[in-house]
Amino acid sequence: MTFSSSYFLSLTTFIYLGAAILYLTYWIFRVEKVGLLATLVTTAGFIIQTLGIALRWIESYKLGYGHAPLSNLYESLVFFSWITILVYLIVEWRVKRRVIGAFVTPFASFAMAYASFSPQVEDSIEPLIPALKSNWLIVHVVTCFLGYGSFAVACGLGVMFLFKDKAKGESKGILGALPSCKVLDELIHQTIVFGFLWLSLGIITGAVWANNAWGTYWSWDPKETWSLITWFIYATALHARFIRGWTGRRIAYLSILGFASVLFTYFGVNFLLSGLHSYGSP
Amino acid sequence: MKALSSRHQSNPIWRFLSSIRLAVFLLITLAITSIIGTVIPQGESLQFYLEHYGPDFFLVLKALHLNDTYHSWWYITLLGLFSVNLIVCTLRRLPFTLKLYKRDSLSITPERLLRMPFKRTWKIRGDLDNISIQTIISSFKEAAGKSREAPDVDGGRLFLAEKGKWSYWGIYALHSSILVIFIGALVGLFLGFKGSVMLAEGKTIDHIVDRDTGGYIPLGFSVHCNRFYISFYDNGEPKEYRSDLTISDGKEILRKSIVVNSPLKYKGITFYQASYRAIPEASLRIVSPDGRQTLLDIPAFQSVLWPEARLTFGLMRYEPENVHGRPAVQIWVQNQAGRVKAFWLLKGNEREFNQGKNSYRISLANINERYLTGLQVKKDPGVWIVWLGFAILIFGFAVVFWVPHQRMWLWVGRQNDKTLVILSGQTNKNRLQFEKNIKKAEEALDSSIGAQK
Repeated sequence: MTFSSSYFLSLTTFIYLGAAILYLTYWIFRVEKVGLLATLVTTAGFIIQTLGIALRWIESYKLGYGHAPLSNLYESLVFFSWITILVYLIVEWRVKRRVIGAFVTPFASFAMAYASFSPQVEDSIEPLIPALKSNWLIVHVVTCFLGYGSFAVACGLGVMFLFKDKAKGESKGILGALPSCKVLDELIHQTIVFGFLWLSLGIITGAVWANNAWGTYWSWDPKETWSLITWFIYATALHARFIRGWTGRRIAYLSILGFASVLFTYFGVNFLLSGLHSYGSP
Repeated sequence: MKALSSRHQSNPIWRFLSSIRLAVFLLITLAITSIIGTVIPQGESLQFYLEHYGPDFFLVLKALHLNDTYHSWWYITLLGLFSVNLIVCTLRRLPFTLKLYKRDSLSITPERLLRMPFKRTWKIRGDLDNISIQTIISSFKEAAGKSREAPDVDGGRLFLAEKGKWSYWGIYALHSSILVIFIGALVGLFLGFKGSVMLAEGKTIDHIVDRDTGGYIPLGFSVHCNRFYISFYDNGEPKEYRSDLTISDGKEILRKSIVVNSPLKYKGITFYQASYRAIPEASLRIVSPDGRQTLLDIPAFQSVLWPEARLTFGLMRYEPENVHGRPAVQIWVQNQAGRVKAFWLLKGNEREFNQGKNSYRISLANINERYLTGLQVKKDPGVWIVWLGFAILIFGFAVVFWVPHQRMWLWVGRQNDKTLVILSGQTNKNRLQFEKNIKKAEEALDSSIGAQK
């Protein structure tokens, strides 16, 4: 087998699935060594995936198309899982709580599995259509996906919060292994702040690009509108902290609802609604 | 300002308009209502909605302008209320922020310093000479950065190193950026225009068609399309659309090839490559009674005058392959008197055409493709205001969440024939970083005080 980008990327799919299982095992049985192994496997997967993405970029030059691998649904799914793992690894490194991995790595593995196995997702390298030929492509996609990746992590943390909140201070069992509600609440907030900045930058770069390509920075196209809806939801989450009784559970719900809106902006708009942003369609 | 705010604090309407609950309510309402326009197709004809949604829902749709949701009265009202909420919130918070900003952190007592989240004290027996005190102070200054002094606070000297006090204004930048973006959008709406034009190769225009009203907008100069090119990848996908345009004002001013993502801008008006159309052009060979031959090119959607016989020709229909398996065109001809005749021309066949006494023989010499380039044209003087709003939004956001207001105090004085040194500090965000900073100051003081013992 030659070392092509698709080889590395399919390998990544299995590594991330393995990492997700390891993190779950670590959470349930709490064996430190399994946790360490999960981190090592995830990091290895991340490096292999980075190589795969870089190779795909090089391959597109060899085909004579020469563009960053961010132009269709397959490439964006790969990039989404890459950036989710990146944001997660940063959070794990800073917070030193591996159990979060059990709630985040599944997102990255689902994205890779969907990209690799779904017959709907075409994985060949295609040339860029005229509308996408712009330096804004990389800036726009990277900013948006940094937001999406952070929101995936925030959603995982939100689910953890709801589990933990239900346990009502129970210190034993698998729920006892989760960080305290106070820590989770703070982490959700920080991840949402980080994601919100990138989502805002993603919307802004999209607006500047649209103005350059179509002559209008905002045209209420479904993709644009849904990104704004997502922005409203996270703006709500940021302001809700200042209202008494809105912290904790409600913000955890908002982090999950917000990520549902991210997923709809990402997939739902392509599959169910029509508009200018049809590049990501299968 | 204070009088103004306290007068308003008790007013329930003012309190409602400035409440964060209203902000959250509006954000949620905007999120939910914005979905409508992504589910119902926007900007279609009323007929379309009647057919798709039935007469009952059609009435609701018409009343609520759901065919143009984002410009409907109620959506604009929501955005207006959102703006009012932002402004009133800002005005209400202003006095508090001003107080926070003006607060002098040097007017503080050693007792309060000891109640700060970060504190450390050193006690040194006996009096310290001036040089020793000076060493302690300068080690604090070196570690904590630029500082100010209050010479006599409870019999001691107080120093304050303060950073990022201005960050209290970040929230105003962040919130006002939304208003700046709205203002930019309004400027574009009232002082700009959006339109389009289909321009055939070799043609010139000096006006465009308004997108909303359908009326003509004069440009004040003319645009000529020299050529339109289209290229494809091997797999048949389009690679590039390119229009070679010339701007002129009687004489040529500017020539540029535009592609998607690389528009042409002149006098505040921008031309974007948006679409194209290929239209057929029939090339007719006309043989006059005296045997002279004329070639006449007739593009679709245009009439062409043949001056010699004072006849006007036009293309009505084009069939690339008719029942005989050959290309055919239907041509109309109008004479000076205004009488119109139409006839079919089949490639390879000739037909006679009588005009008065003269008889002409007409045949279809060729069918060519001719391109029209579709240009999106706009003028938007507000776009720079919108960009400014974007920049302020990101800057304000970064300040609000990542620029902390950090304060570090040092008090050196006497207490019960001992010299007391107090180090304390407070930050409003990013505790981790602040703990590192104050640790540095603590270590510096440790070593300089240790030398005194």
